[in-house]
Amino acid sequence: MTQMTLSQALNRAHHDVMAADDHIIVIGEDIHGGSGVTGGQELGGVFGVTRGLASRFGAGRVIDTPISETAFVGMATGAAMTGLKPIVEVMFCDFMGVCFDQIMNQAAKARFLSNGRFDLPLTIRTTMGAGDGSGAMHSQSTFGMLSSVAGLMVACPSSPADAAGLLKSAVAAKGPTILMEHKGLYGHADTVEDDLPAVKLGKGRVVREGTDLTIIAVSAFVHKAEAAAEALKKDGIEAEVIDPRTIKPLDEALILESVKKTGRLLVASEDAAFAGFADAVISFVTRAAFADLKAAPVAVTPLDIPVPYGRKAEAKWLPTAETIIKAAKQMMEA
Amino acid sequence: MELEDLTLMFEKAHFIRAFEGALAAASDAGEVPGLVHLSNGAEILELAVASALDLPKDQVTGSHRSHGIALSLGVDPLALACEILGREGGLSEGLGGTQHLIAPESGLLGSNGIVGGQVPLALGAALSAKTLKTGGIAVSYFGDGAANQGAVLESLNLAVVLKLPVLFVCENNGFGQSTASAYAAGGTSLLGRARAFGLAAAHVDGTDPLEATKTAHRLAAWVRDTGSPAFLEASVPRLSGHYHGDAERYRTTDGRSTDPLDRLEGMILSRDVPEGLVEDMKSRAHADALAIVDEATAAPDASDTALEAFMAEAQA
Repeated sequence: MTQMTLSQALNRAHHDVMAADDHIIVIGEDIHGGSGVTGGQELGGVFGVTRGLASRFGAGRVIDTPISETAFVGMATGAAMTGLKPIVEVMFCDFMGVCFDQIMNQAAKARFLSNGRFDLPLTIRTTMGAGDGSGAMHSQSTFGMLSSVAGLMVACPSSPADAAGLLKSAVAAKGPTILMEHKGLYGHADTVEDDLPAVKLGKGRVVREGTDLTIIAVSAFVHKAEAAAEALKKDGIEAEVIDPRTIKPLDEALILESVKKTGRLLVASEDAAFAGFADAVISFVTRAAFADLKAAPVAVTPLDIPVPYGRKAEAKWLPTAETIIKAAKQMMEA
Repeated sequence: MELEDLTLMFEKAHFIRAFEGALAAASDAGEVPGLVHLSNGAEILELAVASALDLPKDQVTGSHRSHGIALSLGVDPLALACEILGREGGLSEGLGGTQHLIAPESGLLGSNGIVGGQVPLALGAALSAKTLKTGGIAVSYFGDGAANQGAVLESLNLAVVLKLPVLFVCENNGFGQSTASAYAAGGTSLLGRARAFGLAAAHVDGTDPLEATKTAHRLAAWVRDTGSPAFLEASVPRLSGHYHGDAERYRTTDGRSTDPLDRLEGMILSRDVPEGLVEDMKSRAHADALAIVDEATAAPDASDTALEAFMAEAQA
């Protein structure tokens, strides 16, 4: 076992998969950095995730692009149709608005339209998340919206081990996978197994066992849910925390098993307040386990307005462990 | 061009024309699930480009108007017709249809329902060819309508920046659905745009078999030899509506282009050819195409098997 941050784990995983398979290439803006600039040092991506790849694997496999998300995401898709296994980075998930045709219509549908005659081993890495004053266009979390597009797999790791493991599964998948990394977690350190084993897509994890209510959370919200569960314990409430890790495919069995045990469901999610991940989970659980529910399910999400910039406003917009604790207590009293 | 080359092109062009005519009739009879966008007028240009390719090492992406491109590349016409008609035995067992034709085994990486959406994908095929050192090139067809899409303009730039072996073929038929190219393009020279991005570029009259063939071969060879992108703008007439059934009220009958197939026929007849040769070739091509579309029409609707396989995978 080793201790490393989430960005270090992702970096190691990139080195591992690229060394193991020379069909894997990395494409994106500033992923080597400084292209066309004389002298200077490697940037290795704005969060350092792709550091050292270009010097080890060469510019032919680590490709800095112009700021042209449509062209380079489409290029990665076409390359995945013709024998390569690209990992393409969209610097912030907000920027997917620029290239959504290539994601929604091209990457998501190509394998289906070919009737599976070719696979589409495409991994799209992107960042998400509020809380750092980045404002409305660099802070969104779009995993719910992306998971509503048939043909896409969407994963949101909360730990260094899961980030590395999900990347390894994504590059080996038959279809396009979007790996969404929370900006606030890049510096988050935890222990990992030395070989950074693959984590199966569609397989969730019980973070903490409990009997009174089930809290479903992904990415940064897993840590808020854990803190909330710890605090709730002091009040005699035993919360079970589940991290599905993959939004789509969703580990429905794991969630149902827990809700059937606790009878209460709280989903805490940083994506959309309306028609987002929380609504999707609550909808499916209500349909599948209506009779097991002791209380109406609860969604803890940001406000249904764009992410504000100022510190006080952003703090009001973004749920915290306290928000989860309050909602859980209300639910227990209902 | 030798007489043999001209007659071969003539036969293929008439087969494509007849195939589209038979599909139009099938559409009128209610046999086609959706709307079809016919290739009438672009046959000569597409055959000229196909003759310059090394298939299936070279991979081609096309627009919504790609029946003719598929046939020019040698895609199995029965599987193509079945796909367009949503019948069993289609290229993708009817999952794709007329705007999403996929036959990479013949060099057709895919056609596309989004105007310009196919162009970045061709960069990927070019990147694969370059990275895997296959010696292949990519070709992306798009229309003058797509020439105003960001996806296309970004792709022209990215192909130059990354030095990708891709040949862009802009079929300028003067129309984006009902809107004239002269209205929609700010600065009407698409060739000038391509050159401004740093691409080798040429314009060709897509109804001229000799010029189209010569220029397509020259640019394809240049892309293959240098590994750099090139741009071919071809003027082609759109002899039918945007889709079959388009009443074209926006268009008058004045100034309609002459049929490039008639031009080719005139060139053949100007040579010393046996009496009836041209008529025989035409009737054979038409009979063949009709038989294939009839066979496809008689095939059962594609079953749910392919659909169920995807649903099972999604639920697994």
